[in-house]
Amino acid sequence: MNSNIWVLTSADSIAIATTLILAALGALFTERSGVLNLGIEGILLTSAISSFLAADSSGSIWLGLVVGSLVGSLLAGIHAVLSVTLRANQIVSGLALVIFGTGLANFLGKPAEGKTVTTIIEPLTFGPLSDIPVIGPVLFEHDIITYFAFALSIGSAWYLFRTRPGLELRATGDDPATVDAQGLSVAGIRIRYTLFGGLLVGLGGSWLMLAQSAAWHQAATTNGIGWIALALVVFAGWHPVRLIFGALLFGFSLQLPFTLQAEQITFIPSAFTQMLPYLATLIALIAFSRPGSKNLRGAPKALGNPFVRDER
Amino acid sequence: MRAPFRIIFEQRSETPRYLAAFVPLMSVLAALVAGGIFLMASGYSASETYSNMLSDGFLSSRGITDTLGLSTVLICTGLCAAFAFQMNLYNIGGEGQVYLGMLGGAWAGLALGPRLPSVIAVPTVLLIGAAAGALWIFIPAFVRARLGTSEIVSTLLLTYIAASVLNHFVYTPNSYFRAPNVTFPMGRAVSESAQLTPLGGTRMYPTFFIVVALALFLYWVVKRTEFGYRIQVISDSPRAAHYAGVNARRTTMQVMLISGALAGFGGATLIVGEFGKLDQGILLLGYGYAGIVIAALARNNFAAIIVSGILFSGLRVGGDKLQITTETPIHIGVMLQGAILLFALGGEAFRRYRIRAVRIQAVAQ
Repeated sequence: MNSNIWVLTSADSIAIATTLILAALGALFTERSGVLNLGIEGILLTSAISSFLAADSSGSIWLGLVVGSLVGSLLAGIHAVLSVTLRANQIVSGLALVIFGTGLANFLGKPAEGKTVTTIIEPLTFGPLSDIPVIGPVLFEHDIITYFAFALSIGSAWYLFRTRPGLELRATGDDPATVDAQGLSVAGIRIRYTLFGGLLVGLGGSWLMLAQSAAWHQAATTNGIGWIALALVVFAGWHPVRLIFGALLFGFSLQLPFTLQAEQITFIPSAFTQMLPYLATLIALIAFSRPGSKNLRGAPKALGNPFVRDER
Repeated sequence: MRAPFRIIFEQRSETPRYLAAFVPLMSVLAALVAGGIFLMASGYSASETYSNMLSDGFLSSRGITDTLGLSTVLICTGLCAAFAFQMNLYNIGGEGQVYLGMLGGAWAGLALGPRLPSVIAVPTVLLIGAAAGALWIFIPAFVRARLGTSEIVSTLLLTYIAASVLNHFVYTPNSYFRAPNVTFPMGRAVSESAQLTPLGGTRMYPTFFIVVALALFLYWVVKRTEFGYRIQVISDSPRAAHYAGVNARRTTMQVMLISGALAGFGGATLIVGEFGKLDQGILLLGYGYAGIVIAALARNNFAAIIVSGILFSGLRVGGDKLQITTETPIHIGVMLQGAILLFALGGEAFRRYRIRAVRIQAVAQ
């Protein structure tokens, strides 16, 4: 068996984890404020194609990332207005966003079919560190967004649990009435973090497009990564650092089918390896459920409930 | 500087009757207007696109029968979504349950069909399809009832798994479901006794009437039976239901299994109808997802689902023909679905609240 390919697999798993971490962090910030945004898959897809179109027409990959992120925030804004301002059913609103985003992305993607991204995001080099066998290629040959995603996870934990705004954010998700009594705007905080969440998801989608797939494959571009990201948040108990481990695990399971194919390991039916990431997510989701309560470990207590002062 | 007025939401104690029909209608219109602006911005003619969609989807005799034919499966997926949604259970894996219904139906049509007369073979295919759909939701239903695992994510993940399963059976060489002696992978046609003939040269099958009857039956079940009442009590107040001795776990299981069966039934109507075989083309059609929109637009009212299902079907049929006639990308139809749902949700606020803008007197003066 070729050991090189497993080094490559590990490196690629870390790379795939980038999108998962960014999308899941986006979902986490949104959910911590008490808003459930199920539209992640639709946002990922639309921001992916937007970033492609922006990068393709301007020639700048960085502009692509910026445009994709902003589009992510814009779509999340629809969800924010509907679920926070108009107090609509958040679950249905999120699903509507998935359907709308998928249609919109495919519509916008028409001219992109058959094209590829010409410039790439250069991987960083760490001099001698990158030359270490196995560890070098696995850990030290990624681009800046990957390192940013991992650093952001850790930074987010600090922000959530060690700062005043982080406390306010958590309180808004757990006990909005108290936050309201403190004179803070629950709606304002929720809208802000829904938009910020969309920004992160958008960055994840853009990066997936520009650094990973490089060509537009319609809905297969994201292929359910948005849903896996949502499950990942549950799996991580709404904690940003635990998210990293989940993302690596799911990143690996997403990468595995390609490795097995490259290694020509065919005794496992390809249908099974293709379903592996979803199966793994499902099993993890069930394993981390707690009997007898709808409130999962670490879940914001007011998740999904609109806050209305006079109706309490 | 602050805005000179504030928007106030006043909860309505009673919803005026005219709003119940007015709001969904306005949301469809608003979505069409928004879609029209988008179309024009992308360089297509909105009026031409819409008039084509209208005539291809509803007004021509070909169009309306195609629409009613397609609505058969869409009403099923709409019922599937609504049946779970009414109890605040969000089965959004109707898509995967449709695949399984198709798989189960195809199995019945291939294995049992040749030995049975048509009057028995067709119902068998439909029922086994429904059973397969129910089977596919069994795990999400069980862990939801026992462990409280989010059915939203679990049913959705199972859709991706269902797609792999279906692909496996169509693509694997020598698969039971694959047509032999054909290099291109495609499903093997089920026995003739398991297939219905379309009505008089159209693409509409008698299953349409069965599905409409099914919708009306469910409407009756929910409004008039003890089972329907139990669902109502649990969704209105789980705590009250608990004290009244209602077994919420069992009802959760029942409701989710029925929801899955409805989608499976829809998948099986494609076996006795349009497809006649296991077909990987279903993976691209998104009938299950459309059911969510249909249910939401009908506000989980089973009789209204017949109307919203046909309306949606017309949008799809009209949208699909656009691609051929005007080269407008087919995806505009899906986009409109999503937009209609978004507007319908926004419109809900107007139904539930009286929204007023109140002037704030400038304090500084």
